[in-house]
Amino acid sequence: MTLLRKLLCTGAAIMLSSTLAHADDVPSLKGKRIGITVAGTEHYWDLKAYQGQVDEVKRLGGIPVALDAGRNDSRQIAQIQTLIAQKPDAIIEQLGSTPVLGPWLKKIHDAGIPLFTVDTVSPYSINDTTSDNYRIGEELALKMASDLGGRGNIVVFNGAYNVPVIAIRYDELRLVLKNFPGIHIIQPELHEVVPNTVQNAYAQITDILTKYPHKGDIAAVWQAWDVPQVGATQAIIAAHRDEVHTYGVDGSPDVVKMVGDPNSPAAAVVAQQPYLIGKTAVDNTARYLAGDHAIPPYTFVPSILVTKQNAAAAARELGQN
Amino acid sequence: MSSNLIAEQAPAFLDSSADLEDRETRRARHRSQIIRLGSIAALVAVFAYFGVAAPGFANLGNLANIVEQSTVLALLAFSMSIVVLGGGGDVIRGGIDLSLGANLGLCAAAFTVASNAGFSDPVAVAITLAVGAAVGLVNAFAVVALGVLPLLATLAVMNICGGAELVLTQNTVISANSPLLSYITGASWLGLSMTDWILVGAAILLIALVHGTRWGLRLQAVGGQRQAARAAGLRVSAYLTGTYVAAGLLAALAAIVQAARLSGSSPGSGDILLSVVLTSLMSVVFSRRLLPSIGGTLLSVLFIGGLINGFQLLNVSSYWVNGVQGVLILFVVAVRSLSLRRGSV
Repeated sequence: MTLLRKLLCTGAAIMLSSTLAHADDVPSLKGKRIGITVAGTEHYWDLKAYQGQVDEVKRLGGIPVALDAGRNDSRQIAQIQTLIAQKPDAIIEQLGSTPVLGPWLKKIHDAGIPLFTVDTVSPYSINDTTSDNYRIGEELALKMASDLGGRGNIVVFNGAYNVPVIAIRYDELRLVLKNFPGIHIIQPELHEVVPNTVQNAYAQITDILTKYPHKGDIAAVWQAWDVPQVGATQAIIAAHRDEVHTYGVDGSPDVVKMVGDPNSPAAAVVAQQPYLIGKTAVDNTARYLAGDHAIPPYTFVPSILVTKQNAAAAARELGQN
Repeated sequence: MSSNLIAEQAPAFLDSSADLEDRETRRARHRSQIIRLGSIAALVAVFAYFGVAAPGFANLGNLANIVEQSTVLALLAFSMSIVVLGGGGDVIRGGIDLSLGANLGLCAAAFTVASNAGFSDPVAVAITLAVGAAVGLVNAFAVVALGVLPLLATLAVMNICGGAELVLTQNTVISANSPLLSYITGASWLGLSMTDWILVGAAILLIALVHGTRWGLRLQAVGGQRQAARAAGLRVSAYLTGTYVAAGLLAALAAIVQAARLSGSSPGSGDILLSVVLTSLMSVVFSRRLLPSIGGTLLSVLFIGGLINGFQLLNVSSYWVNGVQGVLILFVVAVRSLSLRRGSV
């Protein structure tokens, strides 16, 4: 565990105790305008985190200026540019591509507008509310290595490395696999696409199953989020290659259900709590605007490793029933 | 009726026929004037409303933001208008370039990759312009030499460009940082950013070229009556080729602006195509003869940009913009169809 990791985990522990446990003590946002800019809302995670923010701003009496960029970088940049001109009391930014957003997050900072982020690491952000993606990546990789008995070939989707949280999960996978020399990543790695992620993942996995036609050629498919996992799992079922298992992150209801199905090749998904993440980001913003400037740079919201064994209970805990 | 009587009445008949034609032409001109002035009045009314109701809308900085945010779309819409002008306004058989969005993405990728490979800005710009022009030439070859419908030819080229972009970028974001990109986003003059000035400069240049030169007038003749233009000795093929190459060059310029705004190349640039087609279609209501024009295209782009900006300032959901844009397009297409049915303008 690196020093940075320890510091982040300590921060998480502090924030979890100080923020989540006292969620009812959140100061009012009455009369305050909070800009909310999100990269897109077409995925379950994105939508729930976005809704969590909008609902919480309204619950606290504030006015949300909520902007959905529809997964279009140019549109998000334009929305942020206009948002800066609107001079809201604070801006919360959710996801997006760091190389693209970086200069514009700096402009928010330079304009003197407090910036908070959801799942986006930025030196200009006062606080980033997110899951502990180091733990997510490690937990998922260890679960997969354990299921595989420490040996086998795996297919990896690595098309979104430019998104920081995805990069963390991928790096953790690599770190874990260093200690499991019997597990090999099939080269070249696959690249998922957006949009049409499910259909494209289905096609790519179908192709690779054809290329590796024998039982045992491929043991698992790993992806850093669960939309490609849907396509991968469907392709494996269609090819009658149920010995290949899939592993992903996010925990959309359909994927949690898939994992819970004893006959599905979907073996595990680390489920996040996006609505709570969005709500917590707003609570942090409200505290900061009320004068609490001791907000730590990261708030980590707990995630749950969902497996065949605990899927039903996890779905209940995630409020997906 | 004797032949003498017919002969006597013929001039009168011809006169009344000419009068009728004049009246029809006058009516058509009158109609297009009403549409044009009505559209400009609607634009002014919407902007005036935002100016009063939307806080900060009329600030110089915000207006400059609208121009800046509209630049990439405007450059591509100019391209589309030039292609439509040269190829004719028929939606199915006329001029259209569906590869513009994908060309934008490919050129942005080309600039970013060239820049990251260590090429200086002038060389990277030259490579980008060459890529854009090459795409235009491929379009022109398919349309002019092979006689493929522009709709289908440019659709195929769109896929070629999309594939080439994926090969270059592996469908990932590639960041770039160069003095030129920093200059485009960072520098300003008279309160306007360099991006604003690029749009202003391109608009002035293209208005002069398309509407004020012999080349531009002949281009409109080629698009309006191809057979007549050919009979008059115009090299129709050269004019058509010129429109696609010009469109490719403008797409390359737009790509450099886009690379500056996004700090590199980002997948999904082709998504802009629908807005380009719609904006170019909309531009006809701002022109005298219900044909695309550079000025009309500029007004359309600023109209849409102003709507998006005004809605955000009024805190109206951005989801409404798509709906409003759709209604505007339906209105424009309906107006144009009705006008064409009642007689040429």
